Amino acid sequence: MMKKLTGARIVIEALIQENVKVIFGYPGGAVLPIYDELFKQNKIRHILVRHEQAAVHAAEGYARSTGKVGVVLVTSGPGATNTVTGLTDAMMDSVPVVCISGQVPTHMIGNDAFQEADIVGITRPCTKHNYLVKEISKLAESIHSAFHIAKNGRPGPVLVDIPKDIQTFETKYGGKKHTKSFAFYKPNTKPSLDTIIKFVTLLEKSKKPIFYVGGGVINSGSRASLYLKKLLKITGFPCTQTLMGLGATPTSDDQFIGMLGMHGTYEANLSMNKSDLMICIGARFDDRITGKVSGFSPKSKKIHLDIDASSFNKSVNVDLLIQGDLSKILEMTLKYIEKKGISFSKEKISAWWIQINKWRAKNCLNYKNSKSIIKPQYALQRLDFLTKHLDPFITTEVGQHQMWAAQFLTFNKPKHWMTSGGLGTMGYGLPAAMGVQIAYPKDLVIDVAGEASILMNIQEMSTIKQYRLPVKIFILNNHYMGMVRQWQELLHGNRLSESYMDSLPDFVKLAESFGATGLRVSKPGEVDDLIKEMIKIKGPVICDVVVDPKENCFPMIPSGSTHDQMLLGPNDKLEGEISEEGMVLV
Amino acid sequence: MTESHSKHILSIMVDNEPGVLARIVGLFSGRGYNIESLSVSEVDSDRFLSRVTVVTSGTKNIIDQIKAQVRKLIPVHNLIDITELKSFIGKELILVKLDIKQKTVIKIHEHIKNIGAKILFEDETVIIIEFSGTPTEISSLIKKMKVYNIVELTRSGLVSMALGKDYIRR
Repeated sequence: MMKKLTGARIVIEALIQENVKVIFGYPGGAVLPIYDELFKQNKIRHILVRHEQAAVHAAEGYARSTGKVGVVLVTSGPGATNTVTGLTDAMMDSVPVVCISGQVPTHMIGNDAFQEADIVGITRPCTKHNYLVKEISKLAESIHSAFHIAKNGRPGPVLVDIPKDIQTFETKYGGKKHTKSFAFYKPNTKPSLDTIIKFVTLLEKSKKPIFYVGGGVINSGSRASLYLKKLLKITGFPCTQTLMGLGATPTSDDQFIGMLGMHGTYEANLSMNKSDLMICIGARFDDRITGKVSGFSPKSKKIHLDIDASSFNKSVNVDLLIQGDLSKILEMTLKYIEKKGISFSKEKISAWWIQINKWRAKNCLNYKNSKSIIKPQYALQRLDFLTKHLDPFITTEVGQHQMWAAQFLTFNKPKHWMTSGGLGTMGYGLPAAMGVQIAYPKDLVIDVAGEASILMNIQEMSTIKQYRLPVKIFILNNHYMGMVRQWQELLHGNRLSESYMDSLPDFVKLAESFGATGLRVSKPGEVDDLIKEMIKIKGPVICDVVVDPKENCFPMIPSGSTHDQMLLGPNDKLEGEISEEGMVLV
Repeated sequence: MTESHSKHILSIMVDNEPGVLARIVGLFSGRGYNIESLSVSEVDSDRFLSRVTVVTSGTKNIIDQIKAQVRKLIPVHNLIDITELKSFIGKELILVKLDIKQKTVIKIHEHIKNIGAKILFEDETVIIIEFSGTPTEISSLIKKMKVYNIVELTRSGLVSMALGKDYIRR
């Protein structure tokens, strides 16, 4: 005989069935029954964050570093609305997250009750799907469906809103197996052999090919990365990666020609621009990548591999699209190549590589180093050099430091780089680093931050203290919202409206007040010792690296421009004025 | 270069659950697509399925994007673009309330009969007529009725289906 359980208990049992080990949350009136059940068990660990937005980012960090679903538990009203930024972030960057929110009891819904918010209505456009559970009989089904939807197809966040009375009602729960079928959601994951043959034929013909690799490869799993690595080796083609795709294959590989896009390398962007065949794998032709669409890679045939049919022909029309799970597509491609005994002539693309190496020789990431002031690029180069052997997990906030981190750090393994790409959420990095550290308690986790972004979720220092998370926070402190200032210099006559960071805290004392170690340097000669010290310290560390306040991030494709209109350094001037069309772009 | 816009009738089978219409409508407004006509009602009470008919317009790319985005919604079972099928019919229902002046009432009766519309209700002040037809026929009816004093009118929005085989069920 199946025993009757309360809704709250069913939530916990269902989470256990989904193999959930940790949830990030914050209690409140409308979820007290669930928190009570959490108290009574020891299979799921609860991490108490200090703000619900941070709970979602932590779950994202956990999900992106492990490939599992990240789980969030919050109360109704403000608890739920605080998750909106995090959910939108997870939606944009395709991160599997399940967010469980409490709701006022069913009979109070619509009454403007205390701490009531229509969170299902609010999050409809920023979740992959959401549920309001109005009957106890639908509870288990909704939770299991949420996990199924979050991780299958293109991953994304799913919210389950559970009114308080539902949490106290009782019903039978026979486990996941006995829950009404929730597998109705079956995205197409298997490509047709026909398209694979066309794909390989195009690969064979190309003289100027380029692989343009996005985060989809990482989402598809480690097999996708392995297959892609193999395909790269067989073809000998150059490869560029998006901000989300970094680490999909090792960035130390000689075929890797740097990140592409607005702050991508000269060689990556020009290769995109001049190629005759572009193979987009798990990326989405985002506006940071394409620049002005009408001038985007005008002469290439384009192939798009993706699981999400709505990504096809959205902003750029392609010649061949292959829908499916990337690891399956790549596996089928390799098998076909092997079966047919196809070999790729390195000679055919040798002129292309000569050209690319000429672009490479421009050394576009070069910067003028200084003996008296720390250049942010230098600090990151040293960080990379001194930590690379430890395969650190890197998270970032959003802004100049994020772009420099993408440019100067090495990513040799997938799932080691967590950054807010699509939404560009300042305040992402610290809670994301917490989520990663929870998943990998012994590994080195570094949040590369700016002094402005870090303040957006600085309350999480308290969470870090409570759970003794040895997160390292590496602040490149330039006293400005650097990216805002850079755009103001470039586009708004150097009128630095509200971008100066006045009244900053003393980060060393701030660290100490949370039981962490605070370190500060302002001379280039001190950087190495700081990093070594940071690694040596067992607990959390805030490094306040005081850097050149005026340094800007290059290369840069100004908004509304094309890949061949890059600014390579501070002495590069814009050709003419930025068009009105470009001025309105972000 | 401007690409040509064309009108499309999309028939969408969805789970009849709370919020499903909001998902579809929200997707259209959030992504800046047009809705020219919308009608929705449950059509299968055993399987709790509703059928939504949306008339929209856009370039080929936009229409493809709309279809892909709608198909991604979890409660959407099936979407067909009726306009892309070889043959289909589309009908709308309209109710019109006319203010009657004594002298015109006989003329109105005659007119309504000629058009093929039905009188649903009549008293000494108003007549309510019902008419169903293609959107063009409906527009033409409204034009004709304008010679009278239209108090109010309401239209059901287009409903449509393909001729021959039932395409909407998988």
